[in-house]
Amino acid sequence: MAPLFLTSAEFWADQLVNGLTTGSIYALIALGYTMVYGVLQLINFAHGEVFMVGAFAGFGVLTAFGGEDISGVMITVSILVALIAAGAASAATAVTIERVAYRPLRNAPRLAPLISAIGVSVFLSHLVDDFFLNGESQFYPQIFPTGNVSAGPLSISYLQLFLIGASLAMMAVLYWVIQRTRTGRAIRAVSESRDNSALMGIDVNRAIVITFALGAVMAGFAGVLYGLFLSSIRGSMGFIPGVKAFTAAVLGGIGSIPGAVLGGYILGFAETIGRELLNEIPGVNLPNQWKDVIAFALLVTILILRPSGIFGRKETKRA
Amino acid sequence: MPEIRRQLLRLRANTWERLPAALRPFTWFLISLAVLIIPTFDDVWMRMFFLVALYATLGMGLNVVVGLAGLLDLGFVAFFATGAYVVAMLGSPVSPAVSGTLNYWFLLPLAIGVGALVGLLLGLPVLPLRGDYLAIVTLGFGEIIRILALNMDNYTRGSQGLFEIHKPDLGFRHIDDVRSFYVLVVVAALAVWFVTSRLRESRVGRAWEAIREDEDVAAAMGINTTKYKLMAFATGASVGALGGAIFAPFIDFVAPQSFTLIVSINVIALVIIGGMGSTQGVFAGALLLIGVPELLQFQETADFLKHFGWLRDVINALISGFNTITFLDVDKLPPAEDWGEKLALYRFIVFGALLVLVMVLRPSGLFPSKRREREFARREEEPVPEGTAV
Repeated sequence: MAPLFLTSAEFWADQLVNGLTTGSIYALIALGYTMVYGVLQLINFAHGEVFMVGAFAGFGVLTAFGGEDISGVMITVSILVALIAAGAASAATAVTIERVAYRPLRNAPRLAPLISAIGVSVFLSHLVDDFFLNGESQFYPQIFPTGNVSAGPLSISYLQLFLIGASLAMMAVLYWVIQRTRTGRAIRAVSESRDNSALMGIDVNRAIVITFALGAVMAGFAGVLYGLFLSSIRGSMGFIPGVKAFTAAVLGGIGSIPGAVLGGYILGFAETIGRELLNEIPGVNLPNQWKDVIAFALLVTILILRPSGIFGRKETKRA
Repeated sequence: MPEIRRQLLRLRANTWERLPAALRPFTWFLISLAVLIIPTFDDVWMRMFFLVALYATLGMGLNVVVGLAGLLDLGFVAFFATGAYVVAMLGSPVSPAVSGTLNYWFLLPLAIGVGALVGLLLGLPVLPLRGDYLAIVTLGFGEIIRILALNMDNYTRGSQGLFEIHKPDLGFRHIDDVRSFYVLVVVAALAVWFVTSRLRESRVGRAWEAIREDEDVAAAMGINTTKYKLMAFATGASVGALGGAIFAPFIDFVAPQSFTLIVSINVIALVIIGGMGSTQGVFAGALLLIGVPELLQFQETADFLKHFGWLRDVINALISGFNTITFLDVDKLPPAEDWGEKLALYRFIVFGALLVLVMVLRPSGLFPSKRREREFARREEEPVPEGTAV
């Protein structure tokens, strides 16, 4: 058995690709958590379900386009339409949730919106699972062209390449919206101080709704990418990625957008590499669930060393 | 002799007077209600009441952590699982951990002790964390305990679970039916009630509330925040373990599947829905959040729903009208005979909707504690500055 650091270059290249893949999904979802937390100081517990709605909207579009029979140029078209539909469906869901479950509680005790968020989460996941699907999973059509791009020890499938590239592109667009547009400036102002923004003539409610919508669009995209990559989707699929993404947001310093992205990738790497490395130790054979243990152990360690996350400062500059 | 008698009388008077005033008539009302239930209902109902009382007990434990000390713990299931596993691993003949089984009355205090210890161990690393960070870390611990139980199958038998757990025996009565377990859990609930209400009115309780209000100010006032926060964790954890230790022989199948996040969610939700920091609230919350979803599974509910065939006709007429106008094809309702079955299937949907509904209608819970209510009223007048880090 070779020492850990001597494991082959292929090993590290594989882990890099896998880490980037899961990291991208986490980062996309984490953005929604961190932005909503920035403006409302609220853990949007239902964000995992917003992601789930996106995955199902994309699934609906792909099925309408012919499912497994989609071929040729229609693959590109259908996936694009699926992404747009997912973004729209997720945004609509998130805005509805905000209107129904959060806005009436804007000035309520701090834990009330949290419980209401948990309620929405339970409601949506079981609505899909128990009411619409009778507990059965659905499967994304496997239409994405298979094949690998190789460069030295690095080998990456088309799908993973697309997933990573698309995520980065979407995050770049989001960053542009937040940093360069008037709406983005309003969101940043609201997350600095809601009252002062209102005094400056910013429509606070509008900014909050747009924050929810933007975060949800990212989650919806993540839902489609998740479906394309892992195929199986169901009503409760949002829970674990949701918790992980929130972990990522906390890791990066909640409220900070670059923090959420970085946290997502760190978590993705830690999960994939951590377990593989531990399994390199002779006599250790950890099953897949240990990824979660590693993720949370990492979270606790980082929070003890830096209680407000990597990018969090005492006076957090949010969003 | 008269001296001793006088002393005893004073002791009795003091103990009674020290009970919170609001608690006295209410205590007797609840106790008599709890006793009257026993001969009235059949086993299915008793199972529901058992679960309600069990969750109320857990709720009182978590109330110490969340309601009094203000530490948001989303991983309460960790302690519940600890208690259940202590009793199951040492009290089940199939347990790979030990040969032979130990007596339940020895295991029960052991479980409580181990629970408190686990509470301390989990509390230590998260001490510097506040608010939402604490929430997510404790949530992680809850999941970690479950994954450990699942994967350390050399000790826990993993998902195959532990069964034939040693049942509590009182000498004159063997506790192995749902009615006896109900009595056991009610006794436990009363004990926890007494202990937590005494704690709340004590120096310790006031220290907890001071920490909840403002940790820095509490520290400045000379409160050892580390000590009191750990105490809150340990107290809550030992109550959680107590609940687990009663749950294990009742369900007689201890496996990781029973210790998912939904347990933590149930407990925290009933504490907050009831009105944080109030004991009546915990019972009301348990009745609503545990009782109602259980009730939806009952045959009685299904029978009751059969009388609503007319409602189905009305709704179906509306649906067919809607279908004609919009050219859609919305499914019609199933016959009223199947509603019970459907409702049992949809109970979690109802649960989720219930959480949102209660929070939107009564944001500070069903029975907000008086002290907290005043505090919230004040908070609205002078809003907390935003942008302050957690």
